[in-house]
Amino acid sequence: MSARVRLARLAGQVIARSDGIAATAGPARRWQTIGSQQAIPGVLAVEDVQGRVDIEVHLVVRWPPQMPLEQLGEQLRERLRHAAGTAGMGARLGAVSVAFDDVRSETECA
Amino acid sequence: MDTHKTGGYAVSEPDKTTRPISSARQGKEVPRGEDSGPPLSQLGQTTIGEGVVTKVAGLAAREVPGVHDLGGGAARAMGSVTQMVGLGDALNQGVSVETGEREAVVDLTLVIDYGESIPRIADAVRSQVIKRVEGITGLSVTEVNITVNDLYFPGDDGPDEAPRVA
Repeated sequence: MSARVRLARLAGQVIARSDGIAATAGPARRWQTIGSQQAIPGVLAVEDVQGRVDIEVHLVVRWPPQMPLEQLGEQLRERLRHAAGTAGMGARLGAVSVAFDDVRSETECA
Repeated sequence: MDTHKTGGYAVSEPDKTTRPISSARQGKEVPRGEDSGPPLSQLGQTTIGEGVVTKVAGLAAREVPGVHDLGGGAARAMGSVTQMVGLGDALNQGVSVETGEREAVVDLTLVIDYGESIPRIADAVRSQVIKRVEGITGLSVTEVNITVNDLYFPGDDGPDEAPRVA
């Protein structure tokens, strides 16, 4: 599996473990990374010529957010960097951009 | 600025002392601190869609007791239709938001429960929307313009007479 797909999967796992995220966004699955066997929704991973992988995640936040969105973005970024470091891929991880695309209320989540 | 007086009761005058916001665009980059270490391009950025600000404002307004619904009669009727076919988002109706780089202006159209004090509810909504939008998105809210479009009477939604047959 390529580093790009591995990092995209890590990003997907970090998002899945995060409180306050209702879903990964992407109308018509616009934002996704096609992995070796499955698509990783809400995560866009782009590898540059130096082999660094930039990650862009698109998220839907659960209402009410437990923290300011900028802080939540920072937290996700930090967790992904930590996870990439643990997986021995810290050097391959480039910029991590976090986009909040929507908010979902309790009734919408149900 | 238009206070949306047509067919309703305009509660608030917009604050004339506020600065105009910069040209609105879809999504905004949340400004980071000047001394935040490595360049932004290396770490990545955080963006918040305008739809998020709109929804936060709508949900915040609904948190205030006495607010029955958002949107004018036509918007609510249209909203229910578009919602049925999966095109609309009921939580965005009655909310219009203009965002710039750092500031936001929010326009709300409310339906308030009959018997509640309209100025008190309007003040509470304004405070709640400012608190939520500023707290969650980091944008500075320069105006919250509120139009009370209708009053809700209990029983407006359904038949007020008991059925004649069991």
